[in-house]
Amino acid sequence: MFFLTEMEEDALKEFFNMGLGMAAASLSQMVNNEVLLSLPQLKVVPYDEATRMLVANDEEQLVAIRQNFSGELTGTSLLIFPGAESLELVRTLLNEQMPLEVLMELEQETLQDVGNVVLNAFLESFTQMMSIQFEFEAAEFLKGSGAFLLDITSHLAAQRLAMQEEANEENERAFVLMMDFKTHDEEDAQHTLSGFVVLLFSQPSMEILKRELKTILGAF
Amino acid sequence: MANKTALIVDDSSLARMMARKIFTTRFPDWSLLEAKDGDEALAMAPPVLDVALIDFNMPGMNGLELSEKLLTRFPNLAVFLVTANIQERMHQRAESMGIGFIKKPIDEPKIADILDKIK
Repeated sequence: MFFLTEMEEDALKEFFNMGLGMAAASLSQMVNNEVLLSLPQLKVVPYDEATRMLVANDEEQLVAIRQNFSGELTGTSLLIFPGAESLELVRTLLNEQMPLEVLMELEQETLQDVGNVVLNAFLESFTQMMSIQFEFEAAEFLKGSGAFLLDITSHLAAQRLAMQEEANEENERAFVLMMDFKTHDEEDAQHTLSGFVVLLFSQPSMEILKRELKTILGAF
Repeated sequence: MANKTALIVDDSSLARMMARKIFTTRFPDWSLLEAKDGDEALAMAPPVLDVALIDFNMPGMNGLELSEKLLTRFPNLAVFLVTANIQERMHQRAESMGIGFIKKPIDEPKIADILDKIK
């Protein structure tokens, strides 16, 4: 059973905090608004529980930008918005006056760009104290329920994992780091944007991460 | 010169450990106090305090709220928000209060830069 010591957990949350801090700063620039962050949550849970962490209602439609990464550290990062809010974000980013059909056309491309910037800032800052190498793949735009977005078989990490070790119960677990964010808009509460960032790691990556944390903490 | 006192406020023990290591190895003549949140910081703040290094995103009051309270008590305190999350509005608010920024993660050069000006 995979577990982290209290210190390792603390360190991981701090890296996540730094990563999302950087990401929030770049998102804030793009939407020209303050982006407020929650405190990080970290859980090692079965995938269905991870899904429940994301949405109270499994059927709720979400929009996500997913960026897989692979190398020494393999996993998936997701920037998730409630479905209804994604067009609002596109509107904010592009032009208030744009007709709805134009916004919808540009939704995918725009959010992919946003996701790319935000998730890159996030992952680079998250891993800046670690010695691991990994590469980003292209950001993908996804629409669907929380269960769909976290579906293990749809993730690169999970695919590789499934090939390596079959039918291991541990494989069913997700290492979930989650933080939510919202924009702060005093003048216009309607235009508040919220969402969250989720980081999922494969089982071998969880071990690598633990090893990295041990090394980093060993320096103090 | 008499010893100076710094206060670090961060809910992450890693962040506090990093600060502790920098202070003990590079600035041994400084004493460093550590608090994990705003309430603890306010409760432990000594009568004389020279520098406060404050995390922004913490349980309870955030770094700016704590800075405000500390500055009321110590008008001459050098306050720095330590965060990776430096946004324009926060920057403006902090600047208007005379608060500086240190980008996380902290390291020796960043701390030296601040402390050398205070000495």
